[in-house]
Amino acid sequence: MAHKVKIDTTKEITVTIDGKVCKSSYGKTILEIARANGIYVPTMCYLTKVKPIASCRMCVVEVEGVNGMVLSCQEKATDGAVVTTQSQELHKQRQSIMKLYNVNHPLECGVCDKSGECDLQNKTLEFGVNQQSFSTKEPHRPVQDWGFVSYDAGLCIMCEKCVRVANEITGNEALQLSVGGYNSTIINVKNDKFDASLGESASVCPVGALVNTHFKYTSNAWELKKIPASCTHCASGCELTYEVKDDTIYRVSNHAEFTSLCPAGRYGFEFRSSSAKVPLDLARAVEAFSKASTIQFSSIITNEEALILQKLKEKMGYKLVSKEAKAYGDFLTSYSSVSGKSLYNGDLKSIASSDALIVLGSRINTDNPMVKYHMTMASKHNRARVVYMHPLEDDALNNIVTQYIKYEAGSEEGVVALLASAFAQKSLDLPFEIKSILDNLDVGNLSAESNVGEEEIEILVKSFAKKKRFSLIIGADVYAHKRASNIAKIVALFEKYLDFSVILVPPTTNALGVSQICELDDKCDGFTIGYNTLGDFTLGSMGEVDLITPSLSQQEGTITTLNKRVVPTNVALDFEGYTLHDVARALGLGIKIDYTVGYTSKLPTSKGFKSESFDDLPNYFDVQGNEHRGYLLDILEVATDGKLEDVCPIDTFDGAVIYNANPIMQFSPHTALCLKLIESRALIGSSQFALASKLSDGDKISYNIDGIEFSRVFRIDTSIKGTFAFNPLYDMGLSSALLSSYRFSRLEFKKEGRD
Amino acid sequence: MSLEQFKDRNVGVQNYRQLDLPQSPTTAMCKVKQVAKRSLKGELFVGLGVTVREMVSTLFGKGLHTTQYPFEKLPISPRYRAIHEMLRLLESGNYRCIGCGLCEKICISNCISMETRYDENQRKEVSAYTINFGRCIFCGYCAEVCPELAIVHGGRYETASEQRASFSLFEDMLTPIDQLSLQQEYQGFGAVSPNADDNIKKTPLAY
Ligand code: SF4
Ligand code: SF4
Ligand code: SF4
Ligand code: SF4
Ligand code: FES
Repeated sequence: MAHKVKIDTTKEITVTIDGKVCKSSYGKTILEIARANGIYVPTMCYLTKVKPIASCRMCVVEVEGVNGMVLSCQEKATDGAVVTTQSQELHKQRQSIMKLYNVNHPLECGVCDKSGECDLQNKTLEFGVNQQSFSTKEPHRPVQDWGFVSYDAGLCIMCEKCVRVANEITGNEALQLSVGGYNSTIINVKNDKFDASLGESASVCPVGALVNTHFKYTSNAWELKKIPASCTHCASGCELTYEVKDDTIYRVSNHAEFTSLCPAGRYGFEFRSSSAKVPLDLARAVEAFSKASTIQFSSIITNEEALILQKLKEKMGYKLVSKEAKAYGDFLTSYSSVSGKSLYNGDLKSIASSDALIVLGSRINTDNPMVKYHMTMASKHNRARVVYMHPLEDDALNNIVTQYIKYEAGSEEGVVALLASAFAQKSLDLPFEIKSILDNLDVGNLSAESNVGEEEIEILVKSFAKKKRFSLIIGADVYAHKRASNIAKIVALFEKYLDFSVILVPPTTNALGVSQICELDDKCDGFTIGYNTLGDFTLGSMGEVDLITPSLSQQEGTITTLNKRVVPTNVALDFEGYTLHDVARALGLGIKIDYTVGYTSKLPTSKGFKSESFDDLPNYFDVQGNEHRGYLLDILEVATDGKLEDVCPIDTFDGAVIYNANPIMQFSPHTALCLKLIESRALIGSSQFALASKLSDGDKISYNIDGIEFSRVFRIDTSIKGTFAFNPLYDMGLSSALLSSYRFSRLEFKKEGRD
Repeated sequence: MSLEQFKDRNVGVQNYRQLDLPQSPTTAMCKVKQVAKRSLKGELFVGLGVTVREMVSTLFGKGLHTTQYPFEKLPISPRYRAIHEMLRLLESGNYRCIGCGLCEKICISNCISMETRYDENQRKEVSAYTINFGRCIFCGYCAEVCPELAIVHGGRYETASEQRASFSLFEDMLTPIDQLSLQQEYQGFGAVSPNADDNIKKTPLAY
């Protein structure tokens, strides 16, 4: 490329494709414009969510005045271009490509997992290739087991989609092309059997070369009933499809051309509950509800269930307690009091399209993998600067993070204040009082306390100077921070005055929805009902409970995602027992409502929900990949009455500190039930941590956090830096939701022996 | 070819001739006379004689004309669609079914159900296969679609049993391994029965 032309994407252009006049904007490829206008161009290697691969040459078109054929997937359209997508020449060209794809291709559709949804099958048929006219010497290429996926080089058409996804979306960079004519293959350079993110690569494979090992040969695609749903493991609420036969989920798939799933979404589907309708059980539940004064619940529930709980509160006067949602809701309220908007302005798309990113207060790779995937996209597609601010570095992010800034646990308030003041230097429209608070910060002291060097912040600000689209990602560490309210207000400055897209990553699946729908209380008192968490009378979808309720794969309803979108999910597996709605009806609430989804249209419009009924919610992606799932919450104007406070000195944590964070693929007691997900139940700490707390690898210890007794084996991981240990919460069953205080804490433990 | 000649229904010009048959009796007296004449002529005993002769030759001779079902069964035409059989590969003895699921898909009574898995030899193994013969209409689609000539219709037409499960499992339909050498290749639809030659007889022109 001789010189880089600045692309003005707002410029309108007109292109004629097959005689159809198509309007579009500058910078779009011919293929994109054709698809947007409903014109079919065959492709084999094109994948909307990554950069054009241009390996198959199926997408060739003719452009008037241009010699030869043009690859429509990578060629940007110019104004006035006249394009032909179908001609005899082109057909011949495409047909010979298909003939080449079929060289030595095994005739094993009969057993192949992909049969029935195979691009090679379809296109071979489409271009009328009814015999294999060429062949060559076939090298010995056995099927390789890569753990979660298996690779059969004999079937691979070398389209390269899997490699691109591993590089540009999941960022694990495990797959590479090994080029060698007919002997070309895909190689797994990391060869890590526990790398489940390869499932993402398998999902885009157009043939049966890269398939899920667990699913291999278990069912033909056409035997499976496809249930559109949403992943309920974390707040991203990704689109997924449960593929079901005989009341069993065989696999999870997604619209892989446009969306992605993290390993937990793809392989974590074995959670379900089963029960029967026993009137006595219901009577007992009703009795418990009539004497209860509090309902405590987990925020991994649907919006409709949250609304039922809220209505129960209004009718019966219960206290509603959901700690994680409450902390998040309060944080958001403080945030709004400065930003003037009911919700934050960022979403996953804004992360992927930004070129400068800051993550603060989250172990993002495990807290919300989809945010990490979008950070990877930003890094790979826009060469984004990625600044990761956290007391603990994360090796999984090494290939995208451009700057790590480590701060002392507990010093988040000071850190955001430092950041804000550094960026505020350049901003002109900051109100005087805010500016004066930021200007009067004792920067030297703060930076000493938080251990963040002034020069580190300076480097950060400088590296952002030439960037255009900024994102600030705030994670679950700060919501339960003592100074959460002030942190929220400072963070809000980034949205309001500093031109950042801010994303407040909700700590659990539906913390955002619950915090908007329910008026939550601080503390339980009296007889407590637990809904999906422990109580004096417990309703839940797992473990020893008093009334078994359906799990989220057995329910229909909506959840509110990180994208501020209300998305529908459907019933994949049968459930015979009682739902929360049945209990509420027995208590006289919603007598006229037949199903839980009858509440969908009653979600509070005062919070931005729409009064649309469940059955009217759309759930699809159009050809261009635009999401039409449910609806976006309306962002409402709120009063800007929040006042910034001065930054408080921090409580330092010296000695051994534990950090509540789940291992990769695990989020909640639901994922803990999924056998395909990797488990790690130990307390894993650095060698310094072991030294400071006089523990050695294999020691059994017990300790107490938020009143919950833990008993774990201690393991040393030398890759962890600092005196920290990771304490998983996902395996604590129904108590998991009760653990919601600040994620860092000092460890006081009792030794119980050796493993 | 035009159908004109077949559509020509004008038969008026044919050369039909009336046979010289005796007159049918018209009066009551004539009818009585005819009956008496036929009864006394002894034709009845001619017929009885044939019966006795056949009886004697059956009991003491060799000329049995009926099949002694259920002790004796005639070979059935391969066109007949009875209980399915699952064939094996002659060389390896392995079952032929590759678990492609086409029979399951095509079955119009939806009575085939199967499960498959990835086995130790990296093959698709059929881990469960049943046909619900309470629903099967013996249409033969499954045998027609099978790419491996694995599922075929056998000759087992007696479908009375205490249990439906008696012949609906994969193992029951599979050629017993010790009888592999006796496994008959499926002739397919339209095939003639093995004893077709024997069954060919001249049709007598006059009785
Ligand atoms: S990859 Fe496609 S064409 Fe190849 S065997 Fe599998 S289904 Fe058939
Ligand atoms: S494994 Fe699949 S996605 Fe990867 S190059 Fe081969 S055919 Fe393409
Ligand atoms: S014979 Fe017809 S009805 Fe019976 S199993 Fe085969 S396809 Fe189904
Ligand atoms: S069609 Fe034939 S090979 Fe395929 S599953 Fe049925 S019996 Fe097996
Ligand atoms: S789609 Fe354009 S080269 Fe493959």
